[in-house]
Amino acid sequence: MIKIQVNGRNHELSQDLASTPLLWVLRDKLKLKGTKFGCGKGLCGACTVHFNGNPTRACQLPLSAASGGQVRTIEGLSENGDHPLQKAWIEEDVPQCGYCQPGQLMSAAALLASGAPVDDASIRAAMSGNICRCGTYGRIVRAIKRAADEGGRA
Amino acid sequence: MKSRHVQDIRPARRRFLKQSALLTTGLAVGFHWMPGAVAGDEGNRLAPFEPNAWVRVLPDGTVKLVVHKHDSGTGTRTALAACVAEELEVDPMAVEVITPENPFFEAYIHPVWHVFSTGGSTSVSLEYDRLRQAGATARELLVAAAAKRWGLTPDRCRAVDGRVVHAGSGRSAGYGELVDDAAKLPAPDSVVLKAPSQFRYIGKLRHKRDAAAKVRGRLRYSIDVDLPDMLVAVIQRAPVIGARVDGLDAAAALAVPGVRQVIRVPARPDVFGGNQEGVAVLAEDYWSAQQGREALQVRWSASPFSEFDSESLPGRFRAVLDEPGAPLVRTLQTGDADSAWPVAAQLLEADYAMPYKAQNPLEPICITAELVDGRLYFRGGVQVPSFAREAAKAVCGLDEDSVVIEELISGGSFGAREAKYWLMEVAYLAQQAGAPVKLMNSREDEVRALFGHAATLHRLEGALDGDGRLSALRLRALSPASGEQWEPGYDERPDHMDYSTTEAISAWDFAYRAPHLDLGWVRHETGVPTGWYRSVSFIPNVFAVESFMDELAHAGGRDPLAFRLAHMEERPRHVRVLMKAAALAGWHRPLPEGTALGLATNQGYGSFVAVVARLSRRDGVIKVERLSCVIDCGLAVAPGGVEEQVYGGLMWGLGHALFDRLDIRRGEVVQSNFHDYRVARMSDMPDIEIRILEGDRDNPSGVGELTSPPVAPALANAIHRLTGRRLRSTPLDLTLPG
Repeated sequence: MIKIQVNGRNHELSQDLASTPLLWVLRDKLKLKGTKFGCGKGLCGACTVHFNGNPTRACQLPLSAASGGQVRTIEGLSENGDHPLQKAWIEEDVPQCGYCQPGQLMSAAALLASGAPVDDASIRAAMSGNICRCGTYGRIVRAIKRAADEGGRA
Repeated sequence: MKSRHVQDIRPARRRFLKQSALLTTGLAVGFHWMPGAVAGDEGNRLAPFEPNAWVRVLPDGTVKLVVHKHDSGTGTRTALAACVAEELEVDPMAVEVITPENPFFEAYIHPVWHVFSTGGSTSVSLEYDRLRQAGATARELLVAAAAKRWGLTPDRCRAVDGRVVHAGSGRSAGYGELVDDAAKLPAPDSVVLKAPSQFRYIGKLRHKRDAAAKVRGRLRYSIDVDLPDMLVAVIQRAPVIGARVDGLDAAAALAVPGVRQVIRVPARPDVFGGNQEGVAVLAEDYWSAQQGREALQVRWSASPFSEFDSESLPGRFRAVLDEPGAPLVRTLQTGDADSAWPVAAQLLEADYAMPYKAQNPLEPICITAELVDGRLYFRGGVQVPSFAREAAKAVCGLDEDSVVIEELISGGSFGAREAKYWLMEVAYLAQQAGAPVKLMNSREDEVRALFGHAATLHRLEGALDGDGRLSALRLRALSPASGEQWEPGYDERPDHMDYSTTEAISAWDFAYRAPHLDLGWVRHETGVPTGWYRSVSFIPNVFAVESFMDELAHAGGRDPLAFRLAHMEERPRHVRVLMKAAALAGWHRPLPEGTALGLATNQGYGSFVAVVARLSRRDGVIKVERLSCVIDCGLAVAPGGVEEQVYGGLMWGLGHALFDRLDIRRGEVVQSNFHDYRVARMSDMPDIEIRILEGDRDNPSGVGELTSPPVAPALANAIHRLTGRRLRSTPLDLTLPG
């Protein structure tokens, strides 16, 4: 069995899934559908989760490589949808189609959690791997700054 | 055993049939109909009040607004709900907003296209009056019910926040308490709509619905559909356009754990805009299906496209335009252009080219279908419900009443969800597999799906008089027809106009005037399947015209802004956005060394826009510093949504100006994923400043596709000012010369 912890819950998964990317384990086996599929090649960021605290493209991480690790998905970003970034996202009305936003939020959460200064340069560096086809980039920048200003590093 | 979900959406079907009967026997008047005949279904709840197809009030006071347009992220759900809610006197952010259980309700037909569809930036502008009337009708019935109960005349009562109140006596009743009485009243012949000055929500909304669900990963998209016994299908489509399956060995694929079936999906060239032939692998889940697909052994036939090379297209297109007899549909003709050339002080000619482009919505195409007892159930982001019917008919031989759709929001469309190949494929697979089938595109499938933006070539010729004024302009816009697949009656039109291909260059919408104008569309079909792409033909048409206007201004020694204004007549809204954008960007102010501005404009969907691009030389490349954009869309129903559509449009424009390019070599799409099909990222984002002008408060007009077309010519015009180099094809090259 392969053991992983997802959003604080322990799971034991079949060895047959060893080569299956974490993305599809999350979506199809654990039924956590908030993490999205966009490209399958680690190019768009839609599947971004935190793996042992680091922003990680779940489509590129075979389950075997995640064995024993801790995974946090959009469903685990906050208990009640009240992470400072989620609140800022709503306040700035960021999502258009919304499909990329779980990945955007997980990338942004990793930036805030890193303790690095939050400015235009660090936001661009942290977020340019996440594609949004609707073009919400301007509001994403505003929302990240808002969350950081409101003490969103916790 | 069939799924619970099917059971859930069946009753709505039955209710709709009852409704249809009423409509056809003439009991309905206009868009009102008899209470009790409903578009949807509320299960076992008692007698909801449904005065029309957009409003439902339940006895417990629950208000449900029905939005019959697809929302691919453009905010239509919020804006259209606001139109109903404003008149119904309820908060559009607080009430429930649902998609119709039955999207084929008569009232939901697109008022211009006469099919069930969302698109063309028309949802708000064309539904604005009708939806407000729907809300007002419901409000007046509820007010009348309360007045009757209290023995008053209706004019002494008013609706406030979901209640009817009588100020004189202090009496009030919630909408829910009034539904039984209201349902028995006849619909009013006419209703009085609120004046814009009375609006509480329209023109004021800064937020959209669904944001809370979206930021928690809880909104259900097509890709999240999960049914018992469902199979996930991926399709290996013909790698070379038009190739057919010559031989198939599915043994290795079928041996992959989780793979259940392999099904050949035939091409249907008899269906206009049909599909490419393919082989589907159906498995328990997507990953297994993809493993199976990699194990497929398919031998493909030769194809007429085996030697097709998109790199040769500009040359081929030029040769077509060089032929005197090229087929021409004239879109605008005034004066006699031929008479102007010999007497011109200066003559200019230029060709502008654009490549094929893919829409690439971030959620790849995904759709679930299930065939149960002769009915075909689709679940997912079906932007054009009429295409689902067409697919069911062409592929499964089902009549149109056999199609049921559970409509979900989609993760972007940009035109991709206005193609129909995927609906045909999934209908076929649902029929063949005998199980619910979820068809999923990989990103590679999405990039190679075809049905994207057509490659085009535009030739412009202009004559300037001795004062640098435009005396004659000729345009030949070469592109395939696009409208044919979507616009009923195209072939019967005497002018053979394809309105989707001649945007911004037609008699009614060309921006400029000169003594001699000769504009036309040259239809040329390469056979490569193309489709719609956000902003459609505005993109190449505006790129060519707005670049050439700059070239003409430069040749005549005129300021590009002044030159444009001098050739506009009776276009006050257009002039205003140009003047305001120029002022916003500091058009007449001195610029720092190594910086330049470029201007372009567009109008469409009843709206106007001007964009000024500011570029600089930095680190050996040209950097896009800023886009300044001013629009006039009449009334912005949801200003927050309008602002983001304007912004998103500018980013879309930046994308096709700088990156979008789909190459076809030996009949095969070259690019495959975001590493070689570049799209705009945050690191590409310039400063963007947007001004939405206060326009005609009675007329909201379209914005979703308005702002992208002027970006490419604004950039090209600024590049010319910065470097002296004129770029006439996209993607624009931002490297500095020599």
